[in-house]
Amino acid sequence: MRDLAFLGFIAALIGLGLKRPFLFVLGYAYADIVSPQRLSYYLLNSIPGGISLIMAGLAVAAWLIADDKRDTRIAPRQGLMLLLLGYAAFTTFHADMPVDALDKWEWAWKAIAFAIFLPLALRTRLRVEAFLLVMTLSAAAIIIVGGIKTALSGGGYGALNLMVSNNSGLYEGSIISTFAIALIPVILWFARFGTVFRPDWRVKLFCGALIFACLLIPVGTEARTGLVCIAVLAVLMLRDVKRRLLYMTGATLIALVAIPLLPQSFTNRMETIQGYQADESANTRLAVWAWTLEYVQQRPFGGGFEAYVQNRIQVQTVDSRSAGDVQIVSALTQADAGRAWHSAYFEMLGEQGWPGLLLFLLIHGAGLVRMEMLRRRYRGRTDDMAWVSPLATALQNFHLVFLVGALFVAVAWQPFIWMAIAVQIGFDNWVCRRERPQSRKSWTAEAPAAAGAA
Amino acid sequence: MIDNFALALSHGLLLLAAWRLFSRPDLDDDDAPPTEGPARGRGFGLRSGPGA
Repeated sequence: MRDLAFLGFIAALIGLGLKRPFLFVLGYAYADIVSPQRLSYYLLNSIPGGISLIMAGLAVAAWLIADDKRDTRIAPRQGLMLLLLGYAAFTTFHADMPVDALDKWEWAWKAIAFAIFLPLALRTRLRVEAFLLVMTLSAAAIIIVGGIKTALSGGGYGALNLMVSNNSGLYEGSIISTFAIALIPVILWFARFGTVFRPDWRVKLFCGALIFACLLIPVGTEARTGLVCIAVLAVLMLRDVKRRLLYMTGATLIALVAIPLLPQSFTNRMETIQGYQADESANTRLAVWAWTLEYVQQRPFGGGFEAYVQNRIQVQTVDSRSAGDVQIVSALTQADAGRAWHSAYFEMLGEQGWPGLLLFLLIHGAGLVRMEMLRRRYRGRTDDMAWVSPLATALQNFHLVFLVGALFVAVAWQPFIWMAIAVQIGFDNWVCRRERPQSRKSWTAEAPAAAGAA
Repeated sequence: MIDNFALALSHGLLLLAAWRLFSRPDLDDDDAPPTEGPARGRGFGLRSGPGA
């Protein structure tokens, strides 16, 4: 039954896409994020190459054949991504773990290649919005499941069932925690400026419920990264709230009310953020990161995808407890091997070496800077560009939350973040194109006059 | 049960979004007139229009 529903949904999408080819681009985003073949029992699994391959082919072909390519811009970041893609191909070819590397390359290259292509297709305001909407609703499929299950049962570390047992992509606990929190500013933007679903009470109700589900995801998955992300987002949003005192009081009150309602296992696990010395998982991270730093001294150009498989580490945990007047300190050393990166930065460093990490930081850094420029330039507008600064802020907040979450989760190649970067580029290009007929100069200099007048 | 509810809700909204985009001329051209008709048309805040 579910198979048939999926098949009907995809057939409808393709049918609509035949008239409006941009829908194929949205179809690819959907197929890549939700991976419907993993949720279906038989039908979709029997399609060779999968739904995403079909959608990608249709999207690119439709763009090549039918789309308007006047005024196509290539942003410097697309060049950097192309460079990163070429470089990753090189390291894959020379990988320490050739078989594992090839496995990761098979999906990772598509994420970057699609992100290079996507800005070319995002050439209208509505396309930018539509793509973000599909990203949000696709992730919502997983977030709603997680949110409801957490609300009903409380979840548990590694215990929250997000529909599939194979926890990769957005279905993995820490990854969905990071992205669920990162999505909150984007959902808030939709509740104010959406045009596909105009912000009436139903849209606001849905957005509110979805944000609540997003906040429940770190509780349900007990991913500590998620809690850190919530804290970062709370601080980031302070930048743009009108009544800061009210916001801070409200946030504190919500936290005070929420804490007693949280499941005990969640509170226990979050407390280990402080006592990390006794925590094997945290110590494993530190040991893997130390190993990576040593490793790149011998392999400064990186060991290729999945190079972590070869690590051999010693994890030391120190636990001190007091029993009466006596302080009992127990130290335990465990040998471990093949532990994953547990950080996108170390993932990039270990796999792609210093050049890869540099490219990674440049791509992300440039995104933050560009969004900051748009944020400031269009702040306070009340005309038809009023949505620009809030969207730049939302995308920047998304990006910053991701970058903080990425400190603790190996998400460097997650398609979801590359899609968000591509949306930033498409949005940025769109604003540039809009401004150009009016004044080229006002783009490079601050344009206070334009802010009020246009 | 929960899985099916979440999948139905998200996919229903995705399909509705696709349908609305299908009938928005400004999907492909910023300068195209926004969909004609009353700003708030049939149900769920839809901007109704004659289609592309």
